[in-house]
Amino acid sequence: MSSLALKDRPGRLRKEPSGGRSPRRWPGWLTGWAFVFPAVALFAVMGVYTIGSGLALSFAKWNGFTPTWNWAGVQNYLDLLYADPVLAPELRRAGWNTLQVMILAPLLTVAISLPLAVALNSIRRLRAVLRSVYFLPYVTTGVAIYFAWRYVLEPDGAINTLLRSLGLGTLAQPQGFLGNPDTALPTLILILVWSSVPVATLLYLSGLQAVDPNLFEAAQIDGAAPRHVLRRIIWPLQRPITAAIVLLGVRDTLHGFQIFLVMTRGGPGGHTDVLALMAYRLSFFKGLAQTLGLASALGWLLFAGAVLLTLVNARMLRRVH
Amino acid sequence: MTGRRVVRAVVFVALFVYALISLYPFLWMISGAFKSRSEILEGGFLPRTFTLDTLTQTWGRLHFFDYFLNSLKVTGLTVLGVLVVYSLASYAFAVLDFPGRRILFWFFVALLFVPGITMLLPVVILEKQLGVLGTHIGLVLPFVNGTAPLTVLLLTNAYGSIPRELREAARSDGASEGRIFWSVHLPLARPAHVTVAVLTAVPTWNEYVLTRVSISDPSRYTLPLGLESLISSEVPRYNEVMAASLIIVIPVIVLFLFLQRYFVNGLVGAIKG
Repeated sequence: MSSLALKDRPGRLRKEPSGGRSPRRWPGWLTGWAFVFPAVALFAVMGVYTIGSGLALSFAKWNGFTPTWNWAGVQNYLDLLYADPVLAPELRRAGWNTLQVMILAPLLTVAISLPLAVALNSIRRLRAVLRSVYFLPYVTTGVAIYFAWRYVLEPDGAINTLLRSLGLGTLAQPQGFLGNPDTALPTLILILVWSSVPVATLLYLSGLQAVDPNLFEAAQIDGAAPRHVLRRIIWPLQRPITAAIVLLGVRDTLHGFQIFLVMTRGGPGGHTDVLALMAYRLSFFKGLAQTLGLASALGWLLFAGAVLLTLVNARMLRRVH
Repeated sequence: MTGRRVVRAVVFVALFVYALISLYPFLWMISGAFKSRSEILEGGFLPRTFTLDTLTQTWGRLHFFDYFLNSLKVTGLTVLGVLVVYSLASYAFAVLDFPGRRILFWFFVALLFVPGITMLLPVVILEKQLGVLGTHIGLVLPFVNGTAPLTVLLLTNAYGSIPRELREAARSDGASEGRIFWSVHLPLARPAHVTVAVLTAVPTWNEYVLTRVSISDPSRYTLPLGLESLISSEVPRYNEVMAASLIIVIPVIVLFLFLQRYFVNGLVGAIKG
């Protein structure tokens, strides 16, 4: 990017060094600190302080209203992991749902976006238009688009109507796709895939364009079938990008829960509950119960999980290279 | 050769099918927004009587104009804050030398691994104590801080790739550090700034989770909260919901169509960098 910008205005500032003595300056380190000060100040308050107080709170019981916290040691963590007869099963269920999303969403994303990128790379006409169209789900991800999905997934919604008119009425869901406990989570996973395909396709496309076209030509001359080209050339070359996409997907699953909050609130009957959503509930929807410490503890468990998965992923990445 | 033509046809069909899937909810959003209250219940894709009433009512009577202004304010302030705070910091990280530089840089980047939900509750508690909970500033501050990792990475990269000779030349002409930053690095890294601005603006415009738990005064609602208030009222009137969704989505789409390459560069750069 920046090299392009440089080309735009060649040597605009490349004046002859006048050799003049530089004026008196502040000591260098003070200049540096002055530049980073606003960012560090904000980070100290909104980042370090909040992270620290959240960590402290995870060892206490508090409902947000009483003046003091009641220290509880590691009890919150134990309650979540096994000690509490209500919370522990809830956590396990949310954890299981999270795990399914974490595995299936990135896999499906890769399975759709790699062929899509290969196809898109093979055409010239309409490529730019299609690329923009494919990108729309990414830029509009948010509450508005989730409500649009809710609308088409209603019992009398467009998807059921479409299925019935195609003669696939047996696949239609009379309670709505989000109302049936068996279809709710798969439906949400598909919508997650729908919104993560754009970035993945874009990354693959940029990866494919970096591949030497002679390589494909040579393979073609040698008589390689398209599926061999895909398996022996494209897939290995794009492995770092696949790793990045999977890493992003895993991270988004652990961090993000907006779609679950907006579309189902974890329902029906907890079938789409995920860990971050559970932490959100414990934080803001438990009235006067002393659940804030539990919420913080769960947040920290998620953080630990995210770090762990990143390390595992980084190791696997290193092995791939 | 015919075999090849068949392959091409299959490729085009597949690409078009996925284009339809990509557009599917948008098409229904548009169709719903132009339907009347009675027609929305009937299903059917094209509105029989095409009406603008739903959109104008949502815009006016349902206060979406006010929500729009609130969203504009929050998003604008966040983008401004991000650009000012992190262009300064990234400049320092990229070209200045001072004790603690590396460790601070990695601190910012490490924030990428802290899940939003881990920060959410402490931020709300802190803002309650500071008395900014429920105000727009109370949203802007954590939003700005939340973009730190990605922004610092992108901008430090951009400033770092500007040739050092330019800085040396300006220096020997007697330019101060602030002057070099303002007249050399800021203009040369303009594409990176646009990228950061769009990558900040879009998620901020759509933000729902923190906004939902901080803002309780309806006169301060942003668009996503306004939209949610429509759907939580008794029976959702999906024509109004879709009109509201369209109001939220259109500015983003316009922004995207005009600044597409900045989105693309930013994402590819952020993930490969």
